[in-house]
Amino acid sequence: MKRLINSIVALLATVALLFFVRFQLESNAGLNNDKTVVFYNFGDYIDPDLLKQFEEETGYRVIYETYDSNEAMVTKVEQGGTTYDLLVPSEYMVQSMIKSDLLRPLDYSLLPNFEHIDSRFKDLAFDPKNRYSIPYFWGTLGILYNPEMIDGKIEHWDDLWNEEYRNKILLIDSAREVMGIGLQSLGFSLNETDDTALMVATAKMKALMPNVMALAVDEIKMYIAQGEAPIAITYTGEAAMAMEHNENLVYVVPSEGSNMWFDNLVIPKIARNIEGAHALINFLMRPDVAAKNAEYIGYTTPNKSAIPLLDPEITEDEAFYPSDETIEHLEVYQDLGQEKLIQFNDLYLEIKMEPR
Amino acid sequence: MIKGERLVNKKTIKWQNIYLVLMFVVLYAPIFYLMFYSFNAGGNMSGFSGFTLEHYQTLFADTRLMTFIINTFIVAILSALFATIIGTFGAIAIYYARQKRHRQLLLNLNNVLMVTPDVMMGASFLILFTLFIKIKMGFMTVLLAHIAFNIPIVVLMVLPRLYEMNPTMITAAQDLGATHGQTIRNIILPSITSGIFAGFFMAFTYSLDDFAVTFFLAGNGFSTLAVEVYSRARRGISLEINALSTLMFLLALILVVGYYFIQVNEQRRKEKGAV
Repeated sequence: MKRLINSIVALLATVALLFFVRFQLESNAGLNNDKTVVFYNFGDYIDPDLLKQFEEETGYRVIYETYDSNEAMVTKVEQGGTTYDLLVPSEYMVQSMIKSDLLRPLDYSLLPNFEHIDSRFKDLAFDPKNRYSIPYFWGTLGILYNPEMIDGKIEHWDDLWNEEYRNKILLIDSAREVMGIGLQSLGFSLNETDDTALMVATAKMKALMPNVMALAVDEIKMYIAQGEAPIAITYTGEAAMAMEHNENLVYVVPSEGSNMWFDNLVIPKIARNIEGAHALINFLMRPDVAAKNAEYIGYTTPNKSAIPLLDPEITEDEAFYPSDETIEHLEVYQDLGQEKLIQFNDLYLEIKMEPR
Repeated sequence: MIKGERLVNKKTIKWQNIYLVLMFVVLYAPIFYLMFYSFNAGGNMSGFSGFTLEHYQTLFADTRLMTFIINTFIVAILSALFATIIGTFGAIAIYYARQKRHRQLLLNLNNVLMVTPDVMMGASFLILFTLFIKIKMGFMTVLLAHIAFNIPIVVLMVLPRLYEMNPTMITAAQDLGATHGQTIRNIILPSITSGIFAGFFMAFTYSLDDFAVTFFLAGNGFSTLAVEVYSRARRGISLEINALSTLMFLLALILVVGYYFIQVNEQRRKEKGAV
């Protein structure tokens, strides 16, 4: 009995000590006022030094929380119970959040740095006039390959159908991406909904299946970096990470067209500190801040004025900062509606089932 | 006697021991692999290129992560403590349930919670705390949920000890005029102490590594290690996480060794007392 009571006392003492240490840590981090901004972002998707810099410059305190997928984030926002002042959804999620009335229109009088955003990335179909969102980072879908493991160069989607690449391609496991490759290699739009076009694209992708080694998602970057497969179809961000580990890799955005994705800064309806959220957005759009952030994360920044501040070796790389001509052919996914989405998924399933 | 033991050992050393060694290699290989690369200067896990402590430095400089580690431990200790107290009395109540049918029913209800998937627990708590009992997400919600899912574990660890207890002791105590409180304090609790400790440690580890429930209930700046590591994994796990895992593993090892010595000491004392 005495032992039990002693243990309880010891445990409570430990907890008190931990609370004390935690309090110390937080007061070091600047917990001196209640001007807090809660920033809910993908994990490791901002340079942590920038948050400190923002706190020092403005006196706001940032609580940085993380999520791993758009869907998880929306669940928490919809359920309530927590305050978030700033979110970073991808473009399709921005569209659906606008539809379900979860976002607050931005006040541009508080966002003078918006002028630094490249006008090519303003006023896009998923959020006309940027009423709710501002692009944070953007990227493409492309082909990542290891020139040491295959003969020849890959520059276009059509090169994938080469018979030499039998069982050598890692394909991203996602309906719209796979259908999109079929559509674009035939000269259609990514958002094509015409039945005949979809049938032709499906047939074309079925013909690619013998070349496909596996359908995967997050594992792709690891497999290609370690030389398990010579060719992969994946996103810029994933490609950048794989290239960090393996210098031989080459990333190509086919000039005939590809998908272009955006992660965007938005303020949800449930936000409390609206002024602070605007201040943080404005801070993140400042050229020097955007440049520092882009260098840390390795994704492509939509901030025009930040590009001259970046290492020219990065910005001259056409894979990550594509030429105007390529950008013209890039397309953003549009919401096709439930019916078409089901059709896309069914056709994708047919492609997947194609015997190899 | 020593000679005899040796002979026996020589005969049985072969397959059993090889099997045992193999089993532990399977269990520990991934952990040691991870620990090994936490000292890698190369920055990734594809090849070892030199020794460095840099990842440990970045780990300790990362105050955000340090706060989450402390949060994790506060929640684990407190939730395990409360769950142990509640669960122990729950187990005693189940033990004393008059009819066997009732007892079985209570025990089954307890077991259902043991096998309920974490994700469902998390989602139900989320709905409970946002729709019915409105509490702001954060420390309290996480703690309450952890206490709740820890209780069944404690009950399962304590109950067998109660059945091992000699029931005549209780009858004797009652015959001698002990009140209920005295019986619990002087007879029941001392004889189930080891079960209570086992329950506490099980609950502690369950809480420490819980991801699903915590993910739904964290918020307002409060989060735990599991949630943070999971969201970082999107960009590939950095070696900082390896360093963290190494330290956590060592801490767990120290705790277990400490607990072992306490037990050994206790046994020795008991043996001496018996002599």
